[in-house]
Amino acid sequence: MIAHQMTLIKRELWEHRSIWVTPLAIGVIVTLGVLAMLILASGFAKELDVVIFGAQNLAGEAERSAALTGFFLGTSWIFLVALAFLTVFYCLDSLYAERKDKSILFWRSLPVTDAETVISKLLTAAFVLPLIMCAGIFATHLVNLVVTSIWVSVKGGSAGTLIWGSVPILDSWLAALIVIISTGIWMSPFLGWFLLVSAWTKRMPLLVAFMPIIVVPLLEWIVFRTRLFATAVAERGDNLPIFRELDIESFFENEGWRHGIQDLSLLSHLDIGKFLTHPETWIGLVVCGLLTTAAIYVRRFRDES
Amino acid sequence: MTSLVTARNVSKHFGALRAVDDVSFEIEKGRILGLIGPNGAGKTTLLKALLGLTDCDGELSVLGLDPFRQRKQLMQQICFIADVAVLPRWIKVSQLLDYVEGVHPNFSRNTAEGFLAQTKVKSGAKVRELSKGMVTQLHLSIIMAIDAKLLILDEPTLGLDILFRKEFYANLLSDYFDEERTILVTTHQVEEIENLLTDVMFINDGKILLDCPMDSLGETYIELSTSGDNTAKARGLRPLAESEMFGKSVMLFEGVTREHLEGLGELRIPSIADLFVAKIKEARK
Repeated sequence: MIAHQMTLIKRELWEHRSIWVTPLAIGVIVTLGVLAMLILASGFAKELDVVIFGAQNLAGEAERSAALTGFFLGTSWIFLVALAFLTVFYCLDSLYAERKDKSILFWRSLPVTDAETVISKLLTAAFVLPLIMCAGIFATHLVNLVVTSIWVSVKGGSAGTLIWGSVPILDSWLAALIVIISTGIWMSPFLGWFLLVSAWTKRMPLLVAFMPIIVVPLLEWIVFRTRLFATAVAERGDNLPIFRELDIESFFENEGWRHGIQDLSLLSHLDIGKFLTHPETWIGLVVCGLLTTAAIYVRRFRDES
Repeated sequence: MTSLVTARNVSKHFGALRAVDDVSFEIEKGRILGLIGPNGAGKTTLLKALLGLTDCDGELSVLGLDPFRQRKQLMQQICFIADVAVLPRWIKVSQLLDYVEGVHPNFSRNTAEGFLAQTKVKSGAKVRELSKGMVTQLHLSIIMAIDAKLLILDEPTLGLDILFRKEFYANLLSDYFDEERTILVTTHQVEEIENLLTDVMFINDGKILLDCPMDSLGETYIELSTSGDNTAKARGLRPLAESEMFGKSVMLFEGVTREHLEGLGELRIPSIADLFVAKIKEARK
């Protein structure tokens, strides 16, 4: 059963090369950007000049840590935005492309149930894509830390203290992993919806998928004068219930990071218990389950001839 | 004899259209059955019902399984080629083999690679880079490497040139078929498969017009070539169809014994194509 699923998921990675090409491309672009900044900011200065990602002379430990953490968060954010786009396009394509190129009959000629197929696509969207993105984030961080360390060492500084000692790397990574995975679970109703649209629509899956976001609230307002649907969708998109009461903006404005490295622990701002006990997490999973089941039934009962 | 497929009063409706209309038949083990019908006759719908790709009314059992409800178990024991175009174009040959190996318990990768070694299909090539004939060879190599009890071919050679078509059926017979296996094939090129078939079934407007073993076809159907006075006599025996060829009348009889026709002209077993045309015309009267 598990080996079966692994084969199905591998198939998804073969078909959708963007799943691994995108993080690779982002990683390369970020690294080239960092190299450019290093060279532009202090390429010609001979004295020890600790340049971290373009900011010059960050001699103070707190400033250095903040710059590194900012870099960590910033790059992670780029990957997250890319992940969001990638997931939407992947889901919408996953059950649509096989009908469009008529390969569905071949896939269905093999001993794989429709449920197994659709579930493999859901697992890919909810876990495989985020995990590959995480790997991309970690690799990008690592490469850039090494590049910067080499730079600092060449200038005569101690990379161990100035770079590696300044930021809780594992803490940041674990936090990124937890946030990305829980975002996938939290957003799962959308994944289910996209899969259903992908299995069902005859054309233009993107349009069909996003149309209800405009049409349903409009109809709801005209008929019932309420905004329940729009509120539910907006809240799902906005509030991932895993953060402790943390306001990132005020954190930076009040220079909370000056208090020391322990305040830079991103992990300490996460509350997995809160996420897991939040009723809306589970409601979301149920909605995802229902929509995915509908997608399975559409694939099973639809006659393409 | 063991029945591999049993259909009793099977129907499939699309709104008012009866694509398959109350058909009953059996397919026995070790046979090669040709399912022949004009476009829109219900062939593909019937095959889809057999493959569990669509549900239907009536009683349908394939290898003792309910195709629609037990599709996964069924697909472990049967194979099908629906059309040459169905292999995904983005996949590499090696990935395709990896995939089938991963999901099919009865697939032998070595056998498939053995078949592929005899073709020009390279394992690193993508399906989109292959010619139509090569895609069919690839598909057939995979299908023949699956130890399946029933093979269903729906227009497997559509769009291929004559060389490939001949080779396709030759490979099928020499490398695949044995008395443990059963093949069900539909095609428009009836003449090419006529000699392979052990049984033939005609379908039109969702109904079965003929279902008979090839070796007993001659007992029921006789073609007579005649001229002169004998023509009128032969017409009196109510032929199913009549045509003119090289100044002679060619008549096709159903259920008229050989003794009645002997002396009236040359007798032979009709070709499937002629019989098919006659039966369809009769059905449309």
